[in-house]
Amino acid sequence: MAISTEKLSGILQNFVTSTNDVQGAAVVTPDGLPLATSLPGAMDEERVSAMSAAMLSLGERIGNELARGTIDRIYVEGNQGYGVLTSCGEDAVFLVLANQSAKQGLLMLEIKRALTELKLVLM
Amino acid sequence: MEIMRLVVTGPVGAGKSTFIRSVSEIEVVDTDRRATDETLMLKKRTTVAFDFGRLQFGPEMALHLYGTPGQSRFDFMWDILIRKAHAYILLVAAHRPHEFRSARRILGFMKQRSQIPMIIGLTHTDCPGAWDAENIAIALGYLDANRCPPIITVNPNQSASVAEAVIALVQHSMQGCLV
Repeated sequence: MAISTEKLSGILQNFVTSTNDVQGAAVVTPDGLPLATSLPGAMDEERVSAMSAAMLSLGERIGNELARGTIDRIYVEGNQGYGVLTSCGEDAVFLVLANQSAKQGLLMLEIKRALTELKLVLM
Repeated sequence: MEIMRLVVTGPVGAGKSTFIRSVSEIEVVDTDRRATDETLMLKKRTTVAFDFGRLQFGPEMALHLYGTPGQSRFDFMWDILIRKAHAYILLVAAHRPHEFRSARRILGFMKQRSQIPMIIGLTHTDCPGAWDAENIAIALGYLDANRCPPIITVNPNQSASVAEAVIALVQHSMQGCLV
């Protein structure tokens, strides 16, 4: 069955608007092409997608090479907020951008929920 | 021990990852992912961050080889890698003239950020429809042969050929000529 980009976009938009402190989200292919995005206006989706793919692949490689096991998520924390990357099945990578006031536990839980939804559409 | 950082760049499918794999003494750190774009016409997997290989070059020098992704959406990786490099080689598949434009774009990108020595390595020169070096130089914007960087032929699958290319690059950068 074809992947419904409308459904993907719907899930992302819903996730971004309904989750506190989340500023943007994207689902991209492991080789760095956008599948669906809901990003802050100034961000270019092609660039964000390529960066997500590069970061996850490098993170996974580090996990492997430095014996950290299977990677659950890659986490970038800056003074303006968070960028969290999770693998979303074999064919997709999920990126979430949140501001600095996000509660980490809640954010992870919300990401987990969104992942379940996204995986259903991507299957 | 001196470390020299060399960057291997070029369009998709020029042979960058193969180049590094052929000559690295350590197991190459690669970041290959399944391709889903037009890259698929050439190969199944593509580099999304960088390749890293290492080569001992005499008792006093180690070469660190970094391979870039080919697609321009990864140009942030080009930027990261070129800023720390001492020299670079631009690989161009001689039989795919439609990619010369992308090679030229990479060249422009690198030149804007860095004046380090570079050479051009032609791959796939044994394939039907391969252009010769002079014409490729012109296609890459080197209209004056005297101002053109050294152009060599390299087969990324053969480690001897890759070693020659690496030596040519190191020699060129030692001469310190900024072509």
